[in-house]
Amino acid sequence: MSQPEDFQSLQKLLQLKRLETPGQEYFERFVDAFHRYQRQEILREEPWYAKIVDVLFEPWVAGIPRLATVGGAMACLMAGMALMFGPIGASSIQLTDGKVTHARGVMVASGQNQDSARIQPELIDTAAGGEVTEIRPLYVNGRGAVAYDSQLAF
Amino acid sequence: MSADATKELDLEHGPTDEELVAETLKGNLGSYDELIRRFQARLYGVIYHLTSNHDDTNDMLMEVFDKAYRSLPTFRGQSSFYTWIYRIAINRTFNFLDKRKRRQGAMSLNEINEEGLPKFDFPDPIQRNNPSKSSMLNELQNKLNESMLQLSKEHRTVVTLFDIQGLAHAEIAKIMGCTEGTVRSRLHYAHKQLQKSLGIYLRR
Repeated sequence: MSQPEDFQSLQKLLQLKRLETPGQEYFERFVDAFHRYQRQEILREEPWYAKIVDVLFEPWVAGIPRLATVGGAMACLMAGMALMFGPIGASSIQLTDGKVTHARGVMVASGQNQDSARIQPELIDTAAGGEVTEIRPLYVNGRGAVAYDSQLAF
Repeated sequence: MSADATKELDLEHGPTDEELVAETLKGNLGSYDELIRRFQARLYGVIYHLTSNHDDTNDMLMEVFDKAYRSLPTFRGQSSFYTWIYRIAINRTFNFLDKRKRRQGAMSLNEINEEGLPKFDFPDPIQRNNPSKSSMLNELQNKLNESMLQLSKEHRTVVTLFDIQGLAHAEIAKIMGCTEGTVRSRLHYAHKQLQKSLGIYLRR
């Protein structure tokens, strides 16, 4: 059989695949099934990390190859970690009353013998002009020291 | 053509896809249902011929219409709705196929058995009146699906859109975001591959 005849037979053969269909009944019910699917999707709350997993493991995200996506995500993660756990020594100043000031706040307890989670009473008195104010810790460093927002403390 | 005649024509053919999109965006959800009815069979065909699995196709089709509905506000009409939704379906199916490949490893033809392959839904008269013909067609279908699965997803897509769905080269190029030349060359290669693997059946 010649090449063009072969090609015509192939096309006829491929057209047989049109028969592989679920039938009219399936399509008549599809819109209703889709409405049910949408309702379920709305009710199902996706965990926050699912989006990150999707971005990391989809081979292409908005036309950007996965390698670049992963690289970008890693860079963001490392920058975040450096900000969170970076050393605080360089920009901190030891005060005479034992407190340590820092660009990001006031360290209340920096020694190992001190209770790092307790806020010194005079700080609470001075916070926001003596009114009852909730002072929230900014961060706890590796040595157990707690830092508070300097704007609240002074 | 007079305005009345045009109006009559519009009523006969119904609203265009783009008019239905605009109506959906205004909050008329019935218009989106109409868009689903227009495209469900064609998109089912595309996804099915790429995945070769009816259950996966059903799930994917739901996802595609859901994704398209959520993305509708970003549809700017630069391409037709037809091209846009086909593109969504193909991109999502490609992602699904990549995930499936990673999960299961590359599918070896030795691992494909008859139970794993989809069956033809032959119209009843063929099944009833000619069981031997039906059995022969099933054998042919198995071989056809095996051969299709041997093609890369890009080659399978052009074969599906051109040979099975009957789209023009230009339309396929728009959907796949490539040139018509690329479509033609992929088709040529895919046909050669299929002719090679289906040779015995073509010469019968």
